[in-house]
Amino acid sequence: MKSECGGTCANFQSSPWHTGFLIQTAAVLSFLLSGSVQAADSATAKALVVNLCSACHGLDGNSTDPKFPKLAGRHPEYLVRELKEFVSGARKSDIMTPIAKTLDPDEFKGLGEYFGAQKPGSGVVLDQKMAASGMKLYQDGDEERGVPACSGCHSSTGAGSKRFPRLAGQHKEYLIQQMQDFRSDARSGAGSRLMREVTKRLSDDEIKAVAEYLTGL
Amino acid sequence: MVKWMTKLLVALWWLPLVALAQGQAPATAGSGVRAWNEIKGEKREVLKLQGDVARGEEAFKICQGCHKQGATGSSSGAYPRLAGQHATVLIEQMTDIRSGIRRNPKMAPFADEHVLTTQEIADIARFLQALPIQANLGRGPGNSLDRGKALYEKDCVICHGNKGQGDAEKFFPLVAGQHFKYLLRQAVSIRDGQRGNANPDMAKVLKPYSDGDLEAVADYMSGLAAP
Repeated sequence: MKSECGGTCANFQSSPWHTGFLIQTAAVLSFLLSGSVQAADSATAKALVVNLCSACHGLDGNSTDPKFPKLAGRHPEYLVRELKEFVSGARKSDIMTPIAKTLDPDEFKGLGEYFGAQKPGSGVVLDQKMAASGMKLYQDGDEERGVPACSGCHSSTGAGSKRFPRLAGQHKEYLIQQMQDFRSDARSGAGSRLMREVTKRLSDDEIKAVAEYLTGL
Repeated sequence: MVKWMTKLLVALWWLPLVALAQGQAPATAGSGVRAWNEIKGEKREVLKLQGDVARGEEAFKICQGCHKQGATGSSSGAYPRLAGQHATVLIEQMTDIRSGIRRNPKMAPFADEHVLTTQEIADIARFLQALPIQANLGRGPGNSLDRGKALYEKDCVICHGNKGQGDAEKFFPLVAGQHFKYLLRQAVSIRDGQRGNANPDMAKVLKPYSDGDLEAVADYMSGLAAP
């Protein structure tokens, strides 16, 4: 406050009216300023998406190539965590690590919020019988072999949370690849511990079935 | 007179210490047997922490894939009901599974130090203790309740209480209304020396029990209304 008005307003400081006015002005200014910072953030994020992300992940975060995950509707905090892990090397990706390194870490949040706000699309279920067995495993797990229900962490709708990614509507090919990578310990990173364990308790067919179910959500 | 009072005072002076020792490590049976539930290492750390219900609810997501939403467990006996269990008991079991004293290969990776922090153990325990208990989820067949009651009142009531309520301070679990098949599985495992962190006193009590005895007493406990 003092530094803002310097020496010029020293005389007004004793007047309650002026103090009130100054506080109001400061409040309005900071509101406008934060608004414009936010606007700048989302404009930067949009520009980054257009130039950097959309070629693979799609402009609305619903990629068309199943090699690349859909990001639409993911929790912003989850996306930020993954970007940090690509940079640190905790999660390895020949594609994403160099790209994430070109970003300013301050831009992660804006990107997370951008993709989080996009409407997620669904995939197509081709094998209903397989999807039904995938649903059983996803919602109930398998007690006999100690396979936890996936829904415990990823939620019964597959929407995920800040700690666990959204899976609903994801490309089945991508889901299968990730589960196989967890199982072979190729996918590492802070959040991978649980999945590396869970997938080791799953067969190839079970992985395919769960993916078939999830893509239709 | 003075001599007599001094003797009495000396005798009484020991009482709180004895009680304390029993509370912390109730069973230090015979030589060669490891003291039960030693309060050291991480267990000691967690017991000192203040758990937080909201954080516990978030962290419990990792557990509910097996223990189910609301921590109801499973009537198949694969997973116990955890709702309403004493926080001390939950902390004891989680830290024992983490340290490997209680061997549980199914659960251990999910309670790993890379998955759950020491603070989250306290949080989860606090959250679970406060959850409402669903009644009669996995009752036994109910065909040997009298025999079960007689055995329970002879051997179990002293620790687990007349209503199966357990004792939070002494780390004795609430057993009332627990799934029959889970109670039976644990009782067999404790009798047969398979449960690593079993109370040696309990193992001794169960030693002469037949499978039928264990079934009867599990049947009785599963039918008790949780407090």
